Amino acid sequence: TDQGLEGSNPVDLSKHPSGIVPTLQNIVSTVNLDCKLDLKAIALQARNAEYNPKRFAAVIMRIREPKTTALIFASGKMVCTGAKSEDFSKMAARKYARIVQKLGFPAKFKDFKIQNIVGSCDVKFPIRLEGLAYSHAAFSSYEPELFPGLIYRMKVPKIVLLIFVSGKIVITGAKMRDETYKAFENIYPVLSEFRKIQQ
Amino acid sequence: MATFELYRRSTIGMCLTETLDEMVQSGTLSPELAIQVLVQFDKSMTEALESQVKTKVSIKGHLHTYRFCDNVWTFILQDAMFKSDDRQENVSRVKIVACDSKLLTQ
Repeated sequence: TDQGLEGSNPVDLSKHPSGIVPTLQNIVSTVNLDCKLDLKAIALQARNAEYNPKRFAAVIMRIREPKTTALIFASGKMVCTGAKSEDFSKMAARKYARIVQKLGFPAKFKDFKIQNIVGSCDVKFPIRLEGLAYSHAAFSSYEPELFPGLIYRMKVPKIVLLIFVSGKIVITGAKMRDETYKAFENIYPVLSEFRKIQQ
Repeated sequence: MATFELYRRSTIGMCLTETLDEMVQSGTLSPELAIQVLVQFDKSMTEALESQVKTKVSIKGHLHTYRFCDNVWTFILQDAMFKSDDRQENVSRVKIVACDSKLLTQ
């Protein structure tokens, strides 16, 4: 989908010298509703809720727009996952807070924070993971018998990248989307260097 | 054996409950015995569905709402298609209540 927009929305090459903009796939955020919650009452009254205290001490609730899942804890703390942007994550968290309010709890919306941003992209060429792992040994962990991707722990910004032979990249650990973009721009020349030349 | 009271809301369960109510009202049946009959009904329904019903039905539709609480799943489907061996039927809105029968044997 990131490539699909290129024609109508040209990439800002000063910010994305590679010409590729990673697509945000998942945003995890937290917020404190700042009131004690009766989870069973919430599960019984709200729609699209699961509560199985034997397995997990939170109500799992979903909404369709923005398509997300929330974990709602008795302490009033909430985790919102699945949104495709920071704004959607906040919008969804507000909707969950509103649902909890409507059920009669004095829910606030305190300390909203983006905790993780996951992005992905495709450099559209295959990569020699072994070579990359060898020359960037301090940052790389590549154990194809355990996991087919190379795990690259970048120091600055402090971001983890999963690099696959196919040229597909997953970028995780960011709290700001610019860290995702920076990490990708940092790694892109390295990926080019270890481009696999096909026979 | 523990049982679910789920089937009391079925047509046959409602009819039985009505009849028992009438009998208790008119004094032909003690309330205790009426309760005992209902408990037996719960057991018999569970057994009958387990041992005598072979028909399988598949239900496919758009999930409008779901809930899982107290080990009971509730689903509200829209535009659901009920399919059994030789017939199928469309239902615009259906509510499914499902319990885990494993909980009975625990």
